[in-house]
Amino acid sequence: MNKNNEQFWKQIIKKVRTWARLNSIWAVHFNSGSCNGCDIEILATLTPRYDVERFGIKLEGSPRHADVLIVTGPVTRQARERLIRTYEQMPEPKFVISVGSCSISGGVFEGCYNVGGSVDEVIPVDVYIPGCPPRPEAIIDGIVQLLASLKGDEPRKMARPVNVEEIPA
Amino acid sequence: MNTLTPLITLLIFPAGLTLILVGMFYEWVDRKLVARFQNRIGPRWFQPFADAVKLFAKEQITPAIVNPYLFFGLPVAALAGALTSALYVPLMGLTPASNFPGDLIVTIYLLSLPTMCVGLAGWNNSGRFSLIGATRTLTQLFAYEAPFLLALLGPALVAGSWQINTINRFTQDHWLILTQPVGFIVALIGLMGKLELPPFDAPEAETEIVAGALTEYSGRGLAMFKIGKSVELIVGLCLVASFYLGGLNGVPSFLFKTLILLLGMTMLQSLLTRLRIDQTVGLWWRFGAILVLAQLLVIILVKGFLP
Amino acid sequence: MNIEQTLKDAEQFLAPWCKETFHPEVNRLDVAIQVDDLRAAVGALLAARWGYLSAVTGTDLGIEVGQLEALYHFCNGPAITSLRIHLPRESDACLPSIADIIPSASFFERELQEMLGFAFSGSKVSERLFLPDDWPEKVYPLRADFSIEQAAPVAGRRADELPEQGVVGGNTFVIPIGPQHPALKEPGHFEFTVDGEIVTAAKMRLGYAHRGIEKAAESRNWIQNLYLFERICGICSHTHAMAYSLGVEKLAQVEAPPRAQAIRELIAGLERVHSHLLWLGVAAHEAGFDTLFMYSWRDRETVMNLLEQITGNRVNYSANVLGGVKCDIGAEQAKAVKEGLTYLETRIRHYLEVVTTDAMFLNRTRGIGTISRDEAEKFGLLGPTARASGLSRDVRLEAPYGAYHHFPVSLVMETNGDLEARCVVRLKELLVSCFTMRTIVDNLPEGPLTTRMPRKIPAGETVSRIEAPRGELFYYIKSKGGENPARVHIRTPSLCNWVSVLEKAVGHQLADVPMLIAGMDPCFSCNDRVVTVNRPSTNETWSWKQLREYGIEFYKR
Repeated sequence: MNKNNEQFWKQIIKKVRTWARLNSIWAVHFNSGSCNGCDIEILATLTPRYDVERFGIKLEGSPRHADVLIVTGPVTRQARERLIRTYEQMPEPKFVISVGSCSISGGVFEGCYNVGGSVDEVIPVDVYIPGCPPRPEAIIDGIVQLLASLKGDEPRKMARPVNVEEIPA
Repeated sequence: MNTLTPLITLLIFPAGLTLILVGMFYEWVDRKLVARFQNRIGPRWFQPFADAVKLFAKEQITPAIVNPYLFFGLPVAALAGALTSALYVPLMGLTPASNFPGDLIVTIYLLSLPTMCVGLAGWNNSGRFSLIGATRTLTQLFAYEAPFLLALLGPALVAGSWQINTINRFTQDHWLILTQPVGFIVALIGLMGKLELPPFDAPEAETEIVAGALTEYSGRGLAMFKIGKSVELIVGLCLVASFYLGGLNGVPSFLFKTLILLLGMTMLQSLLTRLRIDQTVGLWWRFGAILVLAQLLVIILVKGFLP
Repeated sequence: MNIEQTLKDAEQFLAPWCKETFHPEVNRLDVAIQVDDLRAAVGALLAARWGYLSAVTGTDLGIEVGQLEALYHFCNGPAITSLRIHLPRESDACLPSIADIIPSASFFERELQEMLGFAFSGSKVSERLFLPDDWPEKVYPLRADFSIEQAAPVAGRRADELPEQGVVGGNTFVIPIGPQHPALKEPGHFEFTVDGEIVTAAKMRLGYAHRGIEKAAESRNWIQNLYLFERICGICSHTHAMAYSLGVEKLAQVEAPPRAQAIRELIAGLERVHSHLLWLGVAAHEAGFDTLFMYSWRDRETVMNLLEQITGNRVNYSANVLGGVKCDIGAEQAKAVKEGLTYLETRIRHYLEVVTTDAMFLNRTRGIGTISRDEAEKFGLLGPTARASGLSRDVRLEAPYGAYHHFPVSLVMETNGDLEARCVVRLKELLVSCFTMRTIVDNLPEGPLTTRMPRKIPAGETVSRIEAPRGELFYYIKSKGGENPARVHIRTPSLCNWVSVLEKAVGHQLADVPMLIAGMDPCFSCNDRVVTVNRPSTNETWSWKQLREYGIEFYKR
């Protein structure tokens, strides 16, 4: 009986915690060398037409307050260390969303001498949002995907979109 | 039975848990109204609650250089200060849970406690943004505290008592907003300064110093500071409403009057541009303090000569 | 005054040092001079008030030639005079620095130094500003023989290295802003030394968004580059693509059909509306006036809709192709554009009223960051920032390109030079743009959208200047007759405007700094270059390392 009770309460607490996590997403935005295209679209999600605050999504200034790190742009050599440090400053549980083609694969900047490549080579990424730049709707959808993956017991990782050249013949 | 009642008052109703929930509700109203003024839809009703639960469930990072006792103690002290101050005000329009002559002064100082804690927390963290934030928080404290206190003194002088409950009973027959409009405005704006709402949000100006004194706080600490702030909001609104808007004598009048005040505050919030810290201090000492002092003088004179 | 006369004047002023002259294009004069004569020649042009230094292009002429080339481009209306200097590739020879006569040249010189290995005598700055901190010494990415293997990371001090704790040392206190900071939606790193709330020194480090586009352009073909340059900046992508296409078309001696030119100008106008409304919102946000931010971004969505309806994209429109445009304006689009413009005009008038009458907002803008006309000229400001100080610099008027001959715009100027004037200039400019766009839609020339472009562009070099929302955008394109450009040099407007911010921040309140930065509408990704200007002040500025050492000492006691 006692053990059952304990189990029951644990379940409840877990449910409440997941519910809160799903309904309160505070994000911090990091630009690792993007062209601004994605950044203005991320900002646009805050504004009246898209207004993500209605889902409890808020852009925070300090990585210490944030749950989600939104990264845009190919990772330049100068920004790399900073990206890692920002990620490390965030408290657990934390998630990373990589927005835009450049952050997924380097995009048009692939092969440039100062570009290290994709974000997931530097920090673990949970959700990829392709597009150059993705529309605000796509960004919101990406966040919804992240939330859906959190609902399960084990958060599942999203597969990374593959470049045509990477597909084995 | 006798030992249980104060515990219930303190922890569950009207202070404690209920107060925290009502505080969250008011925070939601505030955010929702601001969003509506900005042409947005705004958060859902349970948003502050979800935020708080999430923050409690998050990892708390303790920076290596802080004094850990202070780091953990300050948020608790801030919340405790705000909750204790609620014991002396006519919350929900009910008789205060506890009162004694002179509790007005105690309440006002208890209300300053959270701000002091934020300042100390910023100093304790000694990150760059935290330090500048702490300096600004404390500077602002010195700016609005005196005018705010003076603005609440007006009703006290008229009612001839330093006891909130007595003043509340007195004001139920006297709408002091009509006789002391300056005091009312200063009190309301002082409350906005106290809560660091725009335009007085220089201490946590996101675009300059990230999140001010609380930049390094995460998880529980941050949640407690935030809850402390919403409790402060309720207590402050309650004080101003009971002193100036014809007193509080029941749940409906409490809700109606405080929500009206909140509406006014959100309008000001969304209409005004952030003041620089020097402009804030200038505003309070050049206008706020002098106007309130003048009004106090008038009250004293009138009371002295027209018994 | 006609172009020929202007260029003749320049030739006359430069006669004493001139070794050789020729005209690469009708409006350009190319004067070869000796290294030692540079300062004298620049001085002569300045003394005669002949134009302003617009850009400095550096090129590696290749291993066989064994020479580096520097081109100092001076612009005076449509006329351009370039001072051409050749330096041996492998030697200690160095250019004399002209940063003391023309402050904005310090930026251009830094760029040449880091990217091509030019040495400058009289330049004191030694810190790296543009390339990453772990970049090896003596490796220059824009040299012909550069390969990526040379650039293997080396250990080095990082410019943005922060000690884990802040230390109050003496009277000075350094506030780092960026690269991840809520005030900046883009990466850049600033260090403001403050005394209380007053800024006493300012320093910046860019390069977080440096991707090496100029080098990448050399390995991509002419058409691929169009899409690459579009992604230099997501906010003014059309202007970049337009400047590039106009330049390449000039080289190929092809002219886009009138309809295409008009559509280009129309989209440039819409982009200007989108960019300025975006800017207004960001500036309001920096000032803590979020309501204005939300409203201006809400109205910006109207433009985004129009752009999407015309080009199919909200950002990075890809409207240009070499020799024309991709998208046409049909009856439906024309109607939508006109309706959108009517709505926007009323909104812009409303915002104009807000920024000039809202007392609280004026508190934060009036008299803040004032730049006089002389200072503006000295700093070499461009675009709306210059026009707010009473300096009439607008390429659309001075040197009309594309359809601006047929659909001209009028000059908008303010004289106060403070943040308020910058707001007003930008908003009034939008009204002018809206008016012009309406004329374009009503009088759209008939005809095809594209002409045939050769795949290989004939050898030659050209300068393409156009007015981006932020100011004059400068493209220098050089072809060797192949499928790829030999060199593309891009000078973006923000780069010229930085000096003013860093100089002006000193003495202002910390709270004004984000406003000052936003006031010139910086674009870090456009810049993708680096600069440090450290103004000496009575207070000592410490590096992080010094500060950290001091801190450790302080706490040992």
